[in-house]
Amino acid sequence: MSTVSYSLRLFYPKLPQILPKTPVSKSPFLPSEPLLLFSSSISFQRLPKSPLSEPVRAQQQQQQQREADVDLSIFPSKLQEIIALFQSVSEPKAKYQQLLHYGAQLPPLDLRFKTDDHRVRGCVSQVWVRAFRDPDDPTAVRFEADSDSALTKGLAALLVFGLSGSPAPIIAAVPPGFVRLLGLQQSLTPSRNNGFLNMLKLMQQKALQLYSQVGHSEINGVSDSMGSNLGAQGGILEDKNSILGGETNETGKNSTFREISSANGSGDSLPYGVLKVDGDGMDNANVVQKSLGGGVGGRSKRIRERLERELSPVELEVEDISYQHAGHAGVRGNNDGETHFNVRVVSKEFEGKSLVKRHRLVYDLLQEELQSGLHALSIVAKTPSESQSS
Amino acid sequence: MMASFCHFPASPPHQSLSKLLSPLRRPRPHPFLPNVLCIFNPNRNRIRAGSQFRRLSLSSSSIALPPEELDSSSLGDLTRPDFPILHQEVNGFNLVYLDNAATSQKPTAVLKALNKYYESYNSNVHRAIHSLSAEATDEYEQARTKVAAFINASKPKEIVFTRNATEAINLVAYSWGLSNLRSGDEILLTIAEHHSAIVPWQLVAQKTGASLKFVGLTKEEVPDIEQLKELLSVKTKIVVIHHVSNVLGSALPIEDVVAWSHSVGAKVLVDACQSIPHMVVDVQKLDPDFLVASSHKMCGPTGVGFLYGKSELLSAMPPFLGGGEMIADVFQDYSTFAEPPSRFEAGTPAIGEAIGLGAAIDYLMGIGMQRIHDYEKELANYLYLSLLAIPNVRIYGPAPSETVHRASLCSFNVENIHPTDIATILDKQHGVAIRSGHHCAQPLHRSLGISASARASLYFYNNKKEIDVFIRALKDTIDFFISFQ
Repeated sequence: MSTVSYSLRLFYPKLPQILPKTPVSKSPFLPSEPLLLFSSSISFQRLPKSPLSEPVRAQQQQQQQREADVDLSIFPSKLQEIIALFQSVSEPKAKYQQLLHYGAQLPPLDLRFKTDDHRVRGCVSQVWVRAFRDPDDPTAVRFEADSDSALTKGLAALLVFGLSGSPAPIIAAVPPGFVRLLGLQQSLTPSRNNGFLNMLKLMQQKALQLYSQVGHSEINGVSDSMGSNLGAQGGILEDKNSILGGETNETGKNSTFREISSANGSGDSLPYGVLKVDGDGMDNANVVQKSLGGGVGGRSKRIRERLERELSPVELEVEDISYQHAGHAGVRGNNDGETHFNVRVVSKEFEGKSLVKRHRLVYDLLQEELQSGLHALSIVAKTPSESQSS
Repeated sequence: MMASFCHFPASPPHQSLSKLLSPLRRPRPHPFLPNVLCIFNPNRNRIRAGSQFRRLSLSSSSIALPPEELDSSSLGDLTRPDFPILHQEVNGFNLVYLDNAATSQKPTAVLKALNKYYESYNSNVHRAIHSLSAEATDEYEQARTKVAAFINASKPKEIVFTRNATEAINLVAYSWGLSNLRSGDEILLTIAEHHSAIVPWQLVAQKTGASLKFVGLTKEEVPDIEQLKELLSVKTKIVVIHHVSNVLGSALPIEDVVAWSHSVGAKVLVDACQSIPHMVVDVQKLDPDFLVASSHKMCGPTGVGFLYGKSELLSAMPPFLGGGEMIADVFQDYSTFAEPPSRFEAGTPAIGEAIGLGAAIDYLMGIGMQRIHDYEKELANYLYLSLLAIPNVRIYGPAPSETVHRASLCSFNVENIHPTDIATILDKQHGVAIRSGHHCAQPLHRSLGISASARASLYFYNNKKEIDVFIRALKDTIDFFISFQ
């Protein structure tokens, strides 16, 4: 008994080191925990609420998060700096000022990028994000963003400054929970946090679209889906910095894929170099699809062909977003992806038709796919005049 | 003189009960109550300084009582102790809850009723024979009777309990709408309707081939009643209209709208979510065909609301949701249905919550809806004038006047600062809770040319001191953002 209590007493002096600013002296809560074994009555005192208590608790939680398994070394170095800066600021008001300061440094986004495709969903304010290849460094992704809300713009700036210049897999590997490390969670409303996370996800998605599939297939866990995904990615780029496609040399492609699948998301420049293309990558992307053949699924190719044939679209984008749904019930057992697609069609065929009719038209055209494993379609169907005015 | 200020119907008999119970010594109604009079106060230039407000309102108020006593016994101060949730700190500051249009807080009487239900007699209703079930059924049906009395419906069976006002509107849209609307028919709404009043009708219009018509705003930013009259025609089958707007703070002349609509053969559905909690609503006087409201905005629990419908209308409507309780006999290939209101109450209802709503109604009647309304008129004007005094603040909706009464809420924007930023800093740095966004009224915001607005909305347990805190905090917040621009 005495040895146990001796060892328990050893615990006590350690506590202040872990939680330096907690008014431990006022609270028997923590030290009395070990005493549960010995006493039957325990009293708990509520920690006094003071304006200082808020940032103190924030710091505690931050440290606990850090002790939890977040490996900061995988973050881009600029992001690590930003995290450190926010953690060094304990007052919530100062955090906001810092946030606004970042936002003020963000250059405004060109109006032509303030479109639905760049909008972040789940934000109470309007936020747009744009990703493009760094002209000086083919492996790196750069971002631009804007918002009509100053605090959101600050959050966007954090991400833009923290993630720009990194390769897509590194960007994609940043876990959404990192926002807790900033200690802003305590200071920002949940809906704003959702916007933050959605911003991050959109940026990650766009980075991956630009550079493809290494990170993509690693998320899927299967490298075979790459072919169809390549084709799919070729369809959705509106940036004229599209870089998919490339050599039509089949053996060259195959060897590249072998390299890609073994690259393991290390961020090597080689895969990206191969995928670089001069000029318009769209036609090349189609050629790439054909050379890969149906052996790797090719659903996105089939969708494109069907819609092109029946609707003669002015614009057509087919995007495989199965990776976003990997793991949920409808997808399980269909591990080679190709289960969820975004489709954007602009065609004269939609004129005079209600929204319901347009969607039905697209669904009818893709019946075969729907019956052979296509799980969900997200459709945007516009007429040429509508797409110009939007 | 007071009568000309009132758009609203005279109070039903429960008013006398409230006078009996009222601890406030101030005689009512008082001809010298501030109300809209402070707008015409000659001391207007004193409005500029925030702290002058209290003195301003007190000096123009009742002469019967000394100022301090009046202030300390305002309805807000009297009722605050009944609401435990208001006494807490948020982010290190005393909570100032100004988001009542989104949902109201509940007095201990309601919490006790809920607890008592679950502790003493929780049991399924209308089904069993045993004593607990009989007690639960009695209390549940008594709650229905209380709701009917609250709005002066002639029979309790004209009250259908739903999950909330949104579900009630869907009930009318799918049950009445699908069987009464056809291609070419028109559904008339205003641009200021809540999404719950718009979307169900869009869905039903798609199915039936009917179309939606929208009444726009006047330059005073109220729905254009003249345009409404013009848009009414023999093609109009139903008019769906709010009583009080959750964004503009304006009230519509429901009696007139109903009269005009009935004269062209159109039914009227009134969305009373923002009116019922704050004033006397008498369905026999207003004469709507349908009226909806939610419990959670009137000090009741979430999860229950109600639809009022004229009994001949309800009797002719097919079921909405199918299941137990709403049937008479069930065979394999068909069923026969119960009479309303049971016909529209499928499955086990939110029994405890309905009883809680009954308790909320008791609480409100104990104060008196007219008294609540009069107090809130004071708050409404005080809030409006205080906000107006801040530079670069734009308030939406009509300006209060002798003929125009605003609800005790203000939706506003500050130039060059996003409302979400305002709301965030107000919360984090001052503990003041307001709302920011489109308030479930996107078409309205679009027609005002904005994407979002901030909104502060009060209830009878708020007081002028809280408005002062809000105004101070708002000024501070504005300065915070301006320093970065």
